[in-house]
Amino acid sequence: MKRYDMIIVGAGPAGLSAAIESAKRGMHVIVYDENAKPGGQLFKQIHKFFGSKEHKAKIRGFRIGDELLAEASALGVEVVLNAIVIGLFSEKEVTVKIDEHVEHVKGDTVLIATGASENMVTFPGWTLPGVIGAGAAQTMMNLHGTLPGKRVLMLGSGNVGLVVSFQLMQAGCEVVALADAAPRIGGYGVHASKVSRCGVPFYLSHTIVSADGDDHVTGVTIAEVDKNWQIIKGTEKHFDVDTICLAVGLSPMSKLCDMAGCQMEDNPSKADFVPTVNKYGETSISGIYAAGDVSGIEEASSAMIEGRIAGIAAAAKLGFITEEECNIEIEKQESALEGLRQGMFAPGMRGKIITETDEGVEVSQNLLKKGFVTEEEIERFPGVTHSEGIHPVIECTQNIPCNPCQDACSKHCIKIGSNITALPAVNPEAKCTGCGMCVASCSGQAIFLVNEDCGDGTAEITLPYEFLALPQKGDKGIALNRNGQKICEAEVVNVRTAKAFDHTNLLTMKVPKEFALNARFFKKEA
Amino acid sequence: MRIQEHPILGTYDRGEIVSFTFDGKVLEGFEGEPIAMALKNAGVMVHRYTKKEHKPRGIFCAIGRCTDCVMIVNGKPNVRTCITPLEAGMEICTQYGVSAEPSNGGEKK
Repeated sequence: MKRYDMIIVGAGPAGLSAAIESAKRGMHVIVYDENAKPGGQLFKQIHKFFGSKEHKAKIRGFRIGDELLAEASALGVEVVLNAIVIGLFSEKEVTVKIDEHVEHVKGDTVLIATGASENMVTFPGWTLPGVIGAGAAQTMMNLHGTLPGKRVLMLGSGNVGLVVSFQLMQAGCEVVALADAAPRIGGYGVHASKVSRCGVPFYLSHTIVSADGDDHVTGVTIAEVDKNWQIIKGTEKHFDVDTICLAVGLSPMSKLCDMAGCQMEDNPSKADFVPTVNKYGETSISGIYAAGDVSGIEEASSAMIEGRIAGIAAAAKLGFITEEECNIEIEKQESALEGLRQGMFAPGMRGKIITETDEGVEVSQNLLKKGFVTEEEIERFPGVTHSEGIHPVIECTQNIPCNPCQDACSKHCIKIGSNITALPAVNPEAKCTGCGMCVASCSGQAIFLVNEDCGDGTAEITLPYEFLALPQKGDKGIALNRNGQKICEAEVVNVRTAKAFDHTNLLTMKVPKEFALNARFFKKEA
Repeated sequence: MRIQEHPILGTYDRGEIVSFTFDGKVLEGFEGEPIAMALKNAGVMVHRYTKKEHKPRGIFCAIGRCTDCVMIVNGKPNVRTCITPLEAGMEICTQYGVSAEPSNGGEKK
């Protein structure tokens, strides 16, 4: 029987990060993954990540995946693919099915980093071809270059539902509506806003009544639900769609932990049945660790740190590093993790209704119900100011752990401070040069450069643009407001593309100046 | 439908174009892509019919977990087409029930 210092189950962000940390310290590590490719879900994540530099903020998920794989491979980490771990027994013996045979190996430590699976909801017609998980849509588009459908209804307004809706549009689908039974949008407001300004209507307190079609989806009916989640008759709305996408949460895949005899808990703040772990990610069984979504649903960013912590802790447990070294290293990782677990969307805040930001600014109710901040509401946020000439307008209205905009501006126009979740504020003393780095670095696509009065009755708005076909200078079209409604004619006066922007193009449009505070997206005339 | 060019990902690395059959009909796809993607791009939505109720099933999770997309591939039933790479000349058939039998013998249709 082969023996390893650490056996890792799952080559996603948590598993690979743990492998890197433990291999770095001299451990003999093996990683098993049931998939044909490593990286877990990272290679489907094409948006820029949130956080700060230490969390790899403003880097797109798939590039982080590439970095992790390169780092692991440079350290000689062995990753076995198409390998399904089917058993975890006492004394950390592991059985793994590779192709048609089963291997039996033993680890001095084991890390379970199996991630999560998608939840589903049922309704008449939910088994029809054309009803798919949001993860399936991402897999089809971002890995295999295949459109999931032409016209899509998204159910679920958490970050997955919002991010995938945007990705569907980037790939070329039409998203006809986004529905959620909850009364408020569950994901980041900035993700909702970038979907809303493209014209996608949000239906909160709505669920799917039924899907139509004989052998595949041809339509969907949604309706409003009351406080008891019961459908209110007469509120039905019908859409012709060929695809219904479900983004209704994730559940930890914690069966291996349970099988091994780890103490389990039903923890609503972690979204389900998870192993109880200590601060090192160690379960109730000495030497068995759990990291990433399997021990509580969060983001890939926190999964990577949890993985690193488990890798370092395992190295100390087996004597590859001293307890002292371990504590110093883990303290660093913990403070990074702590940074991500702050703000309105922290794990401990699940289900709580928030009325004000940390700064005491009333939150936008329209954002939570409709996906966009109204013109009246936006004025009260510290990122929205008015001055002569070009200046940034930062429509970031919730306390989320993210600060790349602060570092992006070399003129120090944007201030967040040391508290990563603080709302970005515009520094009135600093002079904006219009370089656009803040626009491109904002993972939430919430920053615009605005010149409210160009002196000739027009205003210029520079916005992030991540769609094809990319409009060209001189193109005429329509400016849309935050709600995606047509408000005026617009002309593209500049389109900037640069390596540093990483595929976020900066489109500058000219509009009549009375629309300076409302025009937030450009649509080429059909 | 294929995505020709993506605003973030650019173009996709695709294998050689190969032929395969779906219920005897010759179709084309890219070698190495999941069978389910080749079928989807050829307009095939239904992969199988359930045993008892004879209800259609197609791609659902696309990562090999749900088994909705299983089909008969080269005579072998219950092959998860969303994670099985396409090869030239593969014979892919709609699955009725849970076996490679061509019909479900008297069950509700």
